[in-house]
Amino acid sequence: MLYALMGLGLSLITGVLNIPNFAHGALFAVGAYFLFSAIHAVGNFWLALVLAPVGVALLGLVIEYAGIRPLYAAGHDYQLLFTFGLSLILGEGIIVVWGPIGFSQLPPSILRGGLDLGFIFYPKYRLFVMVMAGLLVLATWLFLEKTRYGAIMRAGIENKEMVSLLGIDVHRLFTAAFALGAYLAGIAGALTAPIRGLSPSMGVDMLGIAFVVVALGGLGNLLGAIAAGLIIGVAQAVVALYWTEASVAVIFAVMAAILLVRPQGLFGIR
Amino acid sequence: MSRTWLAVLAAVVVLPMAVRHAIATEIWIFAIFGLGLNLLLGYTGLLSFGQSTFFGAAAYVAGYLLKHSAINVFLALAIGIAVGAVSAALVGYLCVQRSGLYFIMLTFALNQMFYFIAYQWTTVTGGEDGMPGIGRPALLAVDFRNPLAYYVFVAALFLLSLWIMKRIVESPLGKILQAIRENDVRAEAVGYDVPRFKLLAFVIGGAFSGLAGVLYAMLFGIVPLEAIGFVFSGNVVFATLIGGSGSLYGPIIGSFVFIWLSESVSVVWERWPLLLGVAFVIVVLFFRGGCVEAWARFWSWRERRRAPAGIAP
Repeated sequence: MLYALMGLGLSLITGVLNIPNFAHGALFAVGAYFLFSAIHAVGNFWLALVLAPVGVALLGLVIEYAGIRPLYAAGHDYQLLFTFGLSLILGEGIIVVWGPIGFSQLPPSILRGGLDLGFIFYPKYRLFVMVMAGLLVLATWLFLEKTRYGAIMRAGIENKEMVSLLGIDVHRLFTAAFALGAYLAGIAGALTAPIRGLSPSMGVDMLGIAFVVVALGGLGNLLGAIAAGLIIGVAQAVVALYWTEASVAVIFAVMAAILLVRPQGLFGIR
Repeated sequence: MSRTWLAVLAAVVVLPMAVRHAIATEIWIFAIFGLGLNLLLGYTGLLSFGQSTFFGAAAYVAGYLLKHSAINVFLALAIGIAVGAVSAALVGYLCVQRSGLYFIMLTFALNQMFYFIAYQWTTVTGGEDGMPGIGRPALLAVDFRNPLAYYVFVAALFLLSLWIMKRIVESPLGKILQAIRENDVRAEAVGYDVPRFKLLAFVIGGAFSGLAGVLYAMLFGIVPLEAIGFVFSGNVVFATLIGGSGSLYGPIIGSFVFIWLSESVSVVWERWPLLLGVAFVIVVLFFRGGCVEAWARFWSWRERRRAPAGIAP
């Protein structure tokens, strides 16, 4: 479900803005580190969980406004270079600010320990993350499908010129889409922190996975992102049981296998 | 022999006198790597963000053989080129069927796959520590452990690569690739099998990357994990773009600038990738078009200033 959340945010950014966002993993990592610092600043996990992704969204706002906006007319190569440079800056910035050694973060006290589900004993926090991620995906879906702004955003994925001809400020739409995508990356990072801990390389690891989700699911395709996220999540979990070392590489192998059979991705667009 | 070739030759001769031999060698290796990418990026219009896959794979395979069995230099190079081409064929087969952003994402995702394989397969690759202990076998009584001898060897291979690449881009194949870059729908309509030509460009580019990978492994005597990582892929894209991807010679200039930049900032600060990232952002925001274009613009600006001055008096 976390993978779906990451992929969804990236898919929004790539779909609406039509840029390859290589800084998406870095935004994920920044979300986790913001949570860590926010917990130390306000002393409350829940408040920190609200604040951290908002901080990432604001960061996204600044990035889009100052950096990406002048680049819409440039080719993908320069956009890629820019977001790649950005991910280096953010990744190294994390090391400069928080140090090269990772941290671990305990979940809040109510969510510690496990829950007996009858057939399996499952950590409470992981259940919470699953429910949260599910709710967020649902909320994003409702926003995109049922609200006016969501409709504009979907229209932006389909046809930008038409949207701007209809008198909608496309630049504001782009900024909003980037901020929303950054928010989703940030909250995914914040939710992950108590499960896997924090390390400067966490962003890069996640970036590849997010791209796999988008490549399989299709740009701006919500259902695709969820399906792809679930498929690779399950594949990874199953392989991890038998052959732990291969559990990351298998994500990409699964992608390659699916693309061999269906080059156009799961739901076949473009 | 054109003026550009003379300039390149002059650079080959002067460079080892100006900087350390290792850095000079690295510049030409990186230039070979850039030539391979430029065939894709500049001539076919394919932005591959996974070139280090072929570079790293070739470096690991050839490095492993150099370490464990006494193969000679040319065999190592041939194996590296073959590994680069084959891995590029595998990756390319999946990637050329999609275009635009999907293409970029796929090259990157498959790059990550190879990275994680190298990361986890520690018995062979050494994982995060890299694969050390790669020697440079002597050839015909020439001891390549002498830095200058190795430099001459690499520089000669670079000139050969440049010549081959020049022949490729000026051949009918090169023209077809450029037609695909300009308008792939039309190229398809004219009767060319576009995915097949894209794949061919990928394989050739991979072979060049493979050559660069083996030379790199022999230069440093180690294959670091970074050699197959995505930052390395990004670096070569940066070097090619900063030099100017539209020109055959762009990657060479880019390689100079990039190696010089990274060598000089890496001694200043341990967190030098941060500065590198800043450099990327600055170049993208203010110097789009690269050195070759900036140079051309400078000349046309001078010509324009001169022309009215010549008429006026």
